[in-house]
Amino acid sequence: MKLTDEERGILDGKSGEPQRLALQVLVKLGEACGADRMVEIASAHLVASSYQIAGEAGIDIYSQLVAQGARVKVRTTSDPGSIDFARWREFKTPKAYAARQVRIAELLDQMGVIPTWTCTPYTTFNVPHFGEHLGWSESSAVVFVNSVIGARTNRLAAYVDLCAALTGRVPCFGLHLDECRRGQVVFALERDAAESFRDHDFPALGYLVGQRVGDKVPVVVGLAGATSDQLKAFGAASASSGSVAMYHMVGVTPEARSLEEALGGQPSLETIRVSRADLDHVMEQMGPVRDGPVDVVGIGCPHASIDQLRRYAALLEGQRVHPDVQLWVCANEVVEAMARRLGYAQTIERAGARFLVGTCHNDCPLDAWRFRRLVTDSGKFAYYTPTTVGTECVFTSTEGCIRAAIAGRVEAA
Amino acid sequence: MSTVPSVIQGRGCAAGEFVGEIVVSNQPFGFWQGLDPQTGVIIDKRHDCCGVTVKGKAFAFPCGRGSTGTPGIFLEAVRNGCAPAALVNITSEPMIIMCALLAEAFFKVSIPIVEVPDTRPAEVLRTGDRVRIDGTRGVVEVFPRP
Repeated sequence: MKLTDEERGILDGKSGEPQRLALQVLVKLGEACGADRMVEIASAHLVASSYQIAGEAGIDIYSQLVAQGARVKVRTTSDPGSIDFARWREFKTPKAYAARQVRIAELLDQMGVIPTWTCTPYTTFNVPHFGEHLGWSESSAVVFVNSVIGARTNRLAAYVDLCAALTGRVPCFGLHLDECRRGQVVFALERDAAESFRDHDFPALGYLVGQRVGDKVPVVVGLAGATSDQLKAFGAASASSGSVAMYHMVGVTPEARSLEEALGGQPSLETIRVSRADLDHVMEQMGPVRDGPVDVVGIGCPHASIDQLRRYAALLEGQRVHPDVQLWVCANEVVEAMARRLGYAQTIERAGARFLVGTCHNDCPLDAWRFRRLVTDSGKFAYYTPTTVGTECVFTSTEGCIRAAIAGRVEAA
Repeated sequence: MSTVPSVIQGRGCAAGEFVGEIVVSNQPFGFWQGLDPQTGVIIDKRHDCCGVTVKGKAFAFPCGRGSTGTPGIFLEAVRNGCAPAALVNITSEPMIIMCALLAEAFFKVSIPIVEVPDTRPAEVLRTGDRVRIDGTRGVVEVFPRP
């Protein structure tokens, strides 16, 4: 790799041990992945902010770096933690576990990480712009900033994201390069799918795309438009069932004003047609809606926007969540505070639902609840919850989630 | 039966040497939700090696799967001395390579990785085979079975 004088100086230890170690990791990664140089980044986002991911190894690493005087060099935000810092007792989090998450928070603070505790930092705190190079992890955020904003980041791993934050650099390969951002596999919606496309078809289509495409760049053709929340849901699902780090949606995302532009002038490797039946089939795989009781409902994955909280409040106005059901709404602290000022939060809580802030069902230890059957509108929850929470899963629309929470059960259509 | 080890030439993705037993899988593997970092046992119920320990052994699987949290579990296993000691893949994507680089940087443990794009490990290797893995030269040598 061709390094600058400054970078060689960092490797010689002139900027301190944390930067030397961090750059060494990044240079070796670049060599293994065919990068010819490093590229400076505008921001970083860290996934190993949660104790569930970082564990004791993470605390060791962060403690070592803090002791050596590590400070982040670019704007850096934190992914959700493994506790709701204000309400962990209500969520039955063991005290010793909460203490370890608090320790991680202290260490990240000392390195200058902005304590956002959210998987959607791109809405408020850490807003990239088109063409900017970044060093991010959190698969759902990576896929959003690449695809919807047109910023450039690979899916960095836990701790490698911190190496990027400490040095302000990443090796230049993969999605930093034009040729790797080109669409490869086309997903063409058939007419019956396009005409009947609903809100919760976005995560379902994302899940299908992720299953079929692995880590290639998919191009979706045939959708008339999408909201930011729908794009967020689509991307998060595709990054869970597959390793999608970038997608194009023709006429919707910025590097896909036409199919030709999305494909970068090359032919596609494959075209896959998606029918209504394909979408219905993937929803069965995500979590079939079969008659029976449910005990936990999860909405707000990725973290809910203020628009979504308004919608949840409207659906819950004057309603009452079934006494045997926990309906938890996942969001970040800032969105929750806004929802409280607008009265949405009170409406949601009056109905018996709870806010789970700065974390989510997948990041918290929930063994004490002994949940058996989760209902969700999230493709990411549908993918991970059977292992993380150990429940059966029902995937349905947001309205279907709220109806299930009120009724205490789901009914097959 | 030949006593000369058979050699698979691949690409070295992370430096280091390993001699010992290998666990071989036919399926992509995700460490996050897939490995118990306290024991080194594979816990993914959907996986063909579920229940098998990879602690201190080489582990061959076609490619990695899943989360950017992967090194979280991997390094926790390294810290506990329960991680696999070498990896062999058809495709060693950056997420897997990053695990080895971090183990070296933060725990001074080298975990050689060899990518063998032209070989399906499950066709030439069997769980229990003795192998020598050289992560610098990108070579996997398989010792003859007794």
